[in-house]
Amino acid sequence: MNRILIAVCAALLVAGCGSKGGTSQQSKAAVESRDLFQQKDQQAADEAAKQAKVQQEQEQLKQQMEEQKRRQAEEARKAAEAEKPVIKPLTDTAMTEKSLSDPASMLKDAASPLSKRSIYYDFDAYNIKAEFQTLVEAHGKFLLEHKDFKVRIEGSCDERGSREYNLALGQRRADSVKKALTLLGVPAKNIQTVSYGSEKPKALGHDEEGWAENRRSDIVYPGIDAPR
Amino acid sequence: MEMTGRPWQSRRADSKHRRAWYVVAGAVLCLFSTTARAQLTIEVIGGGADQVPITVLPLADEEKFQQRISQIVSADLVRSGRFKVQDIGSVRPLPSEPTEVNYRYWKNRGTQTLVIGKVIQRDDGKVEVRFRMMDTSKEAQAVGYAYTIVVPQMRAIAHKIADTIYEKLTGEPGVFSTRIAYVARFPQRFELHVADADGFNSQFILAHREPIISPAWSPDGTRIAYVSFEQGRSIVFIHNLVDGTRRILASYDGINSAPAWSPDGKRLALALSKDGVSQIYVIDADGNGLVRLTNSNAIDTEASFSPDGKYILFTSDRGGSPQIYRMSASGANVERMTFDGGYNVTPRYSPDGKAFAYIQRNQGRYTLALMDLTTRQSVILSDSSLDGSPAFAPNGRLILYASIVGGHGILAAVSSDGRIKQKISASALDVREPAWGPLVGNR
Repeated sequence: MNRILIAVCAALLVAGCGSKGGTSQQSKAAVESRDLFQQKDQQAADEAAKQAKVQQEQEQLKQQMEEQKRRQAEEARKAAEAEKPVIKPLTDTAMTEKSLSDPASMLKDAASPLSKRSIYYDFDAYNIKAEFQTLVEAHGKFLLEHKDFKVRIEGSCDERGSREYNLALGQRRADSVKKALTLLGVPAKNIQTVSYGSEKPKALGHDEEGWAENRRSDIVYPGIDAPR
Repeated sequence: MEMTGRPWQSRRADSKHRRAWYVVAGAVLCLFSTTARAQLTIEVIGGGADQVPITVLPLADEEKFQQRISQIVSADLVRSGRFKVQDIGSVRPLPSEPTEVNYRYWKNRGTQTLVIGKVIQRDDGKVEVRFRMMDTSKEAQAVGYAYTIVVPQMRAIAHKIADTIYEKLTGEPGVFSTRIAYVARFPQRFELHVADADGFNSQFILAHREPIISPAWSPDGTRIAYVSFEQGRSIVFIHNLVDGTRRILASYDGINSAPAWSPDGKRLALALSKDGVSQIYVIDADGNGLVRLTNSNAIDTEASFSPDGKYILFTSDRGGSPQIYRMSASGANVERMTFDGGYNVTPRYSPDGKAFAYIQRNQGRYTLALMDLTTRQSVILSDSSLDGSPAFAPNGRLILYASIVGGHGILAAVSSDGRIKQKISASALDVREPAWGPLVGNR
């Protein structure tokens, strides 16, 4: 049964290769004939192109002059307007900003701390270092304001030492982020944790650079972030 | 002596088992046979002192079969590091019966032990393998057996002969008929393999794109417990090797990790984080009767039962760094065992219960170490830098472990006296997580 399958696959492959070869040869022939045709009419085409170019240059010059006139008129109008007082209704700028951007794009805004999702650790440590407090607080604030959003905290470790110990350590890392978020008021039910230990390394190098990258907790928004 | 093959060892039964497995588990992504993939190649690096000299002659008519018994026996004996296998000399025809042995000739060549025999193809399709180990100084047979087998059992019977020779000459059981399990990593998938102790006949029992770790053999060799991430997080399964079925042992909230069988095979120790940080629990092999053994607010994991079932060694960072502790099997009388260095993990009791292997960090290197439980002295047995997952051979003579060489995971083995070293490589990206199966069968 297997052998028949393999034979059929092989036959299909051979057939596929054959037809592909044919197609590329045909298209090559078509290109060559077009080249010959173009050579024949080259001189006439060159002449037409020259004329078109001169015409184009004249058009451009005309446009530039008109543009200059328009700008001068605009400046004169603005100078007159500056004399008048400007009256605008007062608005809550924070409210306006929020209604303008949906939560999902807030999470992706590269300028916002929310776009950063990874907390890094020292070897065999699970405490959140001071430099990652802002990041955790930003996500805590976001989750507080968007109670319909859930997150998954994924804890990871570098490859050194014991896989089983690292699995437990990765859980501690994820749990420490969860704890920080709940202390900010985020409902615990909205935070899931998982440990990958040293089993799903993001960096594959067996060196300090790779290890540092892999000692990490990721804050993952399911549906927004791609699964790893 | 009739040899009965375990169903999954013979090729026909194997395909049947695999089909059953697809139906049961349905997690396998690739349906192609992988008997040729991840085959292990074992290279002996060191050599022991006081090697026993032995000459293994080709068995008469063994060349009529694909698997040549004398070659398999010789390779087994060499790999153990305890024998010096000598060349077969020039006397022809080669003896295959005691009456044909020219003792004078062999004694003059310094051969103390001579292995002879023959392979007979019977009319009923079966094969009779006769082997005798001759003591040339006594001019007598030391041991001899005749086995009636079918052709696919040829390698198995060769290992059995090697075991008999090993036991007769060293007084300890041989482990050539045992099996090992390990995890092979390929670009898009992980496979849990079971292979003969010499690396042959490797076949996967589970394949998935998510990681598989921590395989542990049941004491009777019929089941393997392991941790699989196939459901997106760590879950402990027990996989039956006889019928290919499996079931979940533990899928509590948090991690489900580090399964370790009790010596009677009735219970397993586990590391679970369902109550907070990872703690050690025991559970019946059928999934009932979960009992918490440790009560710390630190990581407790990697339990290993003593062979008499009275103690459990485990890893804990309750003292500020991961160290090895010992407690009674009920969780009482916790005692710290390691004090040197800031990272000592993965304790594994030796089969005689007198020592334990573990992984020790030493000047930034993670190496295999062995602690004598009587003297509490440790020796370092490996010289690489990212070693892990030690697994004793069931006779305690060799320790298999995972290492990284040239950026790839390999398996390595070292004798418990540190003299013999083996490097085991495979045609996978990485091989890792070795577990050595028990001594089983009609020995």
